[in-house]
Amino acid sequence: MGELSDAEDDLYHAIARLAQRTPFVEVLAEARTGLSVRYNGSLTTFQSPPRIRGAVFRAWTGAGWTEVSVSGVDAPSVRFAETAIERTLSHRPARDSPPGLSSTARVDEVTPTPRPIRDMGEEEIRTFARDVFGWVSGAPDIHETEVQISWLQDDRLYLNSAAARCSQAVCRVRGAVIPVAMENGRAESGRFIRGGVGGREVLSQLNPEGAQNAAMTARSLLRAKAPPYGRLNVLLSPSVTGYFAHESFGHGAEADQFVRDRSYLRPLLGQVVGPEILTIVDNGGYPGAWSQIFCDDEGHLAQRTVLVDRGRFAGALHDRATAAALGSVPTGNTRRSDVFSRSFVRMTNTYVEPGESSFDELVKEARDGVLLESGVGGIEDPQGGQVQVKARMGHLIEDGKVTDLVSSMALSGKVLEFLRSIRGISGKEDFQLDTGSCGKGRTDFLPNSAGGPYLLASAVVGQA
Amino acid sequence: MSAPRTRDAAAFRVADQLTGKDPWEVFGERIRRFEIHLSGGAVEMTRGPVALEGYEIRVFRPREGSLGIGCQASNDFTPDGVRLALEDAERSARFASFPTSRFSLPAGRGATGGIVEVLDRGLWEYPMDSLESYVAGLRAAFEGRNGFTLSFGSLRATLVETSICNSSGLRTGYGHTQVELEVGVKAVGGPEGPAPGEYWLNDSDRRLQPAEISRRVDEWCRYAEDVRRGVPPPTGEMPVILPPAVLAGILPTVCSGRLTGSARLRGIAAQPGAKVASEIVTVHDDGRVPWAPMSSPVDDEGVPQRRRLLVDHGTISEILYDTLHAGAFDTHSTGNAFRGMAFGFPTWYRFLQPPLVAPTTIVVSPGDGGTEAELIETAREGLWIQEIGWSSPDPVSGAFGGEIRLGYRIRGGKLAEPIRGGTVGGFVFAPAGSPSLLSRLQAIGSTSAFAEPVSSPPVLIRALPVGGEH
Repeated sequence: MGELSDAEDDLYHAIARLAQRTPFVEVLAEARTGLSVRYNGSLTTFQSPPRIRGAVFRAWTGAGWTEVSVSGVDAPSVRFAETAIERTLSHRPARDSPPGLSSTARVDEVTPTPRPIRDMGEEEIRTFARDVFGWVSGAPDIHETEVQISWLQDDRLYLNSAAARCSQAVCRVRGAVIPVAMENGRAESGRFIRGGVGGREVLSQLNPEGAQNAAMTARSLLRAKAPPYGRLNVLLSPSVTGYFAHESFGHGAEADQFVRDRSYLRPLLGQVVGPEILTIVDNGGYPGAWSQIFCDDEGHLAQRTVLVDRGRFAGALHDRATAAALGSVPTGNTRRSDVFSRSFVRMTNTYVEPGESSFDELVKEARDGVLLESGVGGIEDPQGGQVQVKARMGHLIEDGKVTDLVSSMALSGKVLEFLRSIRGISGKEDFQLDTGSCGKGRTDFLPNSAGGPYLLASAVVGQA
Repeated sequence: MSAPRTRDAAAFRVADQLTGKDPWEVFGERIRRFEIHLSGGAVEMTRGPVALEGYEIRVFRPREGSLGIGCQASNDFTPDGVRLALEDAERSARFASFPTSRFSLPAGRGATGGIVEVLDRGLWEYPMDSLESYVAGLRAAFEGRNGFTLSFGSLRATLVETSICNSSGLRTGYGHTQVELEVGVKAVGGPEGPAPGEYWLNDSDRRLQPAEISRRVDEWCRYAEDVRRGVPPPTGEMPVILPPAVLAGILPTVCSGRLTGSARLRGIAAQPGAKVASEIVTVHDDGRVPWAPMSSPVDDEGVPQRRRLLVDHGTISEILYDTLHAGAFDTHSTGNAFRGMAFGFPTWYRFLQPPLVAPTTIVVSPGDGGTEAELIETAREGLWIQEIGWSSPDPVSGAFGGEIRLGYRIRGGKLAEPIRGGTVGGFVFAPAGSPSLLSRLQAIGSTSAFAEPVSSPPVLIRALPVGGEH
């Protein structure tokens, strides 16, 4: 936090001066550093995340918010932002306070890193990438394997005119092995990705077995059948379950969509929407998870928010404004991609909690259908209540057994119908959280995690 | 102001401080961004100026048979900041390896690519006023429309002075504008009952076009109403028409994955001379389409943009290169080095990411399929897909598809009821003899439309698998 700490006095004084012109003003300053390497046997590229420093000031004008961002935290940059905010406030002098609860939190947190990754220099990280590459380099029919190793240290300092001071330093570490198999012009890839908040110990989750399985998957996909299409029993793997939770009750429960009268879920708050075995949670404080944060970008503490509690739609994700509009409290979900982007209500780590069935029981219960594996993405439909989730691969389920491999497919359906069709959820032994990213619409991407165990339901699927 | 102020352009200021060895390159941006966000029809927030200035230094260190490339982005222009960025880049270069030692950076002064229309002058001079005026026009266009409202919106303008210089003597730059519009248009009321329908638009352009607002709002309202009435499609293989807005979500990613020097280096590129599509398909990559978001006088290495023939009557003609991949294959850059792609979407600040080989505007040549009505008549029975949720093509396998967010049944050669839900997808390329979007193209319309980043007529595919309810 060195550079941000150095700037703290300037930021504090700017806030103090602006506070004489508005009932509320806040600043978020950010500094990033890190390293990433890609290695594929013939190519090694390094990319250091940019030495970016910056700050965003947000002030209440009496009628709305005004923001100014600057790409520096040095005294001239801070002064530039302060002057620009002053200019706006001189046109629109504010008297009333902004809606919602201003944070008064005092936070000073650093990601626990038993083995700090920043000690790992270029040479060591390259050697590690080469070792990982070696796990699959002799695999038959593998045309190319790319290994990606990266870490990003994101330091944020939040101050406001209500005396909040939140300093957090989060280090995210990720490793990926992506083998590509090719035959007669057809190419397919496998994935083995592990990541989380912490240090180099996160990389120890990579292992030869996982890398070799990814290679075998890529090879097998070359001969995979086309998936079936139409309405089927669908068994979602943990990553696909996570995408479903994220796209359906995650985006649907972001309360800015409620305020915009844009969520099909709003009138259902408090009602039963699914079976009692279903609980969906967003948890920014999940230790070690990819999207763990200590506090959000309005200075509210990260927390565990239950969205669906044993089948009942229990709560939404809030920032200060939505909480004020809807009679709730902020849930620690206000996030900015960076200090150059505006804040929105966003998810953190969103997942379906484990149930009590076993995987084998769910396959038997499905009898005929399709297992969707290796989630690759999805998209929400807050107003219409539809959801799309895409899987890189799957297997047929025939007569209560997992049979042939099938290629990539999409799942589509109305969320509420899907929830009503849920017939089983597997136990904690299957629970996984993925590393991912999420946009608000098609912009403002930030780290997100989603997951769960296996989940059996029915939906429309098709080749995709 | 169509070019950066030469003396204080971001890249030039950094280059003037560089004391390291050749070869090197500096890419710089000075950015101002302004935003207006709407909740319902009301202004929720104004932002700006978001003032961001930064650069990336790339150094190239030839070794025997390979090149060590190091890069470091920063927004610290102080002598210490530049020195640290250079040291980081040099350190990375020592451990990096790119399989060629041949490459040449472009040389020359000035905007060597000539004039391409990429700067909205009114927006450049009066950014917030222009946005406020556009938003007022947008809100006015909804007045008096019973049953239709704006559920939210955001309008963001980015004004950029790009500058590039390198150790071969290149000093070039240009100014450009980008406009991003996102709106949700909701249809409510009427005999269909209480459930609303929303059309959710994400659009990108180089300029504000207030004269188009009224026409566009008419179109969005029609789509919102059709979303509301849409029913799931049938299940089965059937003729499908894809308009440019849908192709825009499919073709660029697949071209990046299979028609570039980086794909060739990975050994997964489609080979020039290979037959990948039906005879009626001709595709160009054109970095000089006026006002297109991916157009510019030069690419992000300073190589002039041009038009490149990718697919000639179904056969791969040329693939796309930056200077590095061109060096690896002893050929020339096609001017396709672009920065600033994240998760498949362009980012508004580009200096943070090193260049990748990427297409610009994919231009599908018009065919003899006639008007939209004639194309529909040719299909006879099938679907017109207006919007896919997220077609998320896999750049390696070429698989694409997703949920149908809006479409129409085609019955008896005419557009019929709207559809919504279910899936459509397949492969863009496939091995010879296997079904794919390109090999099953039956007809291409005769009139192109632009849907960023594709310019194309609608295309009729003989059959694609559709997952529906029945």
